[in-house]
Amino acid sequence: MGNLVIIGPRSSGKTTYLCALAYWPQRQAALHHQSIFDVDPIGEDSENLQKQAKNVIMPQESLQGTKVLTFSEMAQYQFQIKVKKKFSNKTELINLVVRDSAGELFDNLASGNINPDHEEIYQDFLRKDVVGCLILLGDWQKEDDEDYSASIKNFLSFLDQYDRNHDLKIALAMSKCERGELWTGRIDPYLDIFGAHLSQTRLVLEKSNFNQKNLEFFAISTFGVLARNDPRPNRRDEPGKKGKWSVLREPQKWKPYNLIAPLYWLSTGKKLGANV
Amino acid sequence: MIELLNILYYYSKINCEEVITLGIIYIGDRATGKTSLALELTNPKYNYVRITNCQYQDLKDKLFRDGEIQPTAALNSLYENSLQVEVQLPAGAKNLSVNWVDTPGEVWRKSWRKDNPDNWQKLLNNIQESEGIILVLPPYREMPSLNSSVDSSLFPTKEQWCQRFQRWVNFFQFECPKAQQITICLNKADLFCNIEKEESELGYHPRHNRKGWFERHSYVKQRYFKVVQTQLDQISSATEGAPVRCFITTIHNRSLLELPWLYLASQL
Ligand SMILES: Nc1nc2c(ncn2[C@@H]2O[C@H](COP(=O)(O)OP(=O)(O)OP(=O)(O)O)[C@@H](O)[C@H]2O)c(=O)[nH]1
Ligand SMILES: Nc1nc2c(ncn2[C@@H]2O[C@H](COP(=O)(O)OP(=O)(O)O)[C@@H](O)[C@H]2O)c(=O)[nH]1
Ligand SMILES: [Mg+2]
Repeated sequence: MGNLVIIGPRSSGKTTYLCALAYWPQRQAALHHQSIFDVDPIGEDSENLQKQAKNVIMPQESLQGTKVLTFSEMAQYQFQIKVKKKFSNKTELINLVVRDSAGELFDNLASGNINPDHEEIYQDFLRKDVVGCLILLGDWQKEDDEDYSASIKNFLSFLDQYDRNHDLKIALAMSKCERGELWTGRIDPYLDIFGAHLSQTRLVLEKSNFNQKNLEFFAISTFGVLARNDPRPNRRDEPGKKGKWSVLREPQKWKPYNLIAPLYWLSTGKKLGANV
Repeated sequence: MIELLNILYYYSKINCEEVITLGIIYIGDRATGKTSLALELTNPKYNYVRITNCQYQDLKDKLFRDGEIQPTAALNSLYENSLQVEVQLPAGAKNLSVNWVDTPGEVWRKSWRKDNPDNWQKLLNNIQESEGIILVLPPYREMPSLNSSVDSSLFPTKEQWCQRFQRWVNFFQFECPKAQQITICLNKADLFCNIEKEESELGYHPRHNRKGWFERHSYVKQRYFKVVQTQLDQISSATEGAPVRCFITTIHNRSLLELPWLYLASQL
């Protein structure tokens, strides 16, 4: 059973991402889409995610921000992912327990003035039975790069402190990549997203004593685009929310992009081809 | 309050009882229809929103005198009631225990605040702690389709209406920057639009792929809130929570009446 944690700034799409994962079976059925993956949400907490997908995301709304909770209060989202192997009848089973965190947790790291409650949560997040951390980022302006790199720098010092430099995996992912400026960068996010827009953030990770084998870069979009041959983003932006909030444009066409790749890599160390 | 909610939520999970406790407050000027809206919600003829602990008739007897709804008394300031609301959402029924607070329109007058600083503070705290705020607005005189049989002098002019709206914007911006959910109901829709037609545009049909919340809001905003579009965006950017959502409501159409509640229940 792999324990994973998700961190990242406010409104970067962490909870929406998990909802999409829990709702994957229904979307697959609705789109008559054959994929090498099956996702099985297990337990009440994961069912809650499914409900939110149905009640909130499908009817064109945004989820509420996640509140700061202690590790033991946090929901435990359990999933079983089945991967059908090409050219054989075998399926690979991946069992995950994922914990979602409030964006405040990541944002407050930047100041270096860390709230003791948050520190306790990070301590739990870095227990030895946690195998990986998904860092989901949402913006790419210069100021954002500065904030992100400051937060990650302090996160890395926690890794030092709890001796997780060598055995924790980090997937650094850019979310909401259906946005025009990012969509073409999705093929090579290391270069065309992180290199082009978040170079300071990338550098902080690369220049640290963190085991580089355990670091990987991803581009994902929970909302995706309208169709394979119609790359218009499946999203509508909320006026007044500075591009940070959006809702699905055509819920019936909802098909996330690259949702599972980071989780698959965090649990197996293997990368997947694009477009699954 | 949020901490408390989390604890409650946590316990409700342990007990496997899906009852969520929420505070929802109605605000708005005098005679915009706040009390009527809440009362009408308890009407046993419902579609997707049902009140399970209040009898329509009892409440009506309590609130009506001589066939007229009584203005909410200002001095005891807040009229609190606990409503058990059962809402039918796409993922099934959701039970909410709503602490419904009605406010008298009078409190929005400057003079009242000056004379009742303690009550004003109490009200303010109540608004700030509510998960959902429902602002009820009247129509304005110049609305193109205002029913000619109504005495339009009862309503503010467009200019007055816009000025008043700006004061609401300031109120949200400076007094409630942490508001999670603000919904605005332009009430008495029966007086300024064809409610059957709007019901068919906006109505809630969970089994059919009709408009989503964002599209409903855009439709209403485009048609009925055109004069304050930028102010609406201003509220959304000045508050922490979800973007503001606009509705048209009336006590004479159940579908339109239920919409804000369906919306709040799915969000909160
Ligand atoms: N354009 C676009 N918007 C998205 C995507 N995923 C999520 N969003 C929007 O981003 C906003 C924030 O999403 P959340 O999932 O609540 O973000 P979060 O990271 O959990 O935020 P906190 O809980 O506050 O830390 C919402 O308006 C979502 O609809 C995406 O793939 N593309
Ligand atoms: N035509 C019409 N009148 C309404 C509606 N809602 C309320 N009213 C009337 O507006 C007046 C003020 O209502 P009341 O609920 O006391 O307003 P409050 O002071 O905001 O609580 C009453 O005469 C109501 O009957 C509505 O949807 N349509
Ligand atoms: Mg969240």
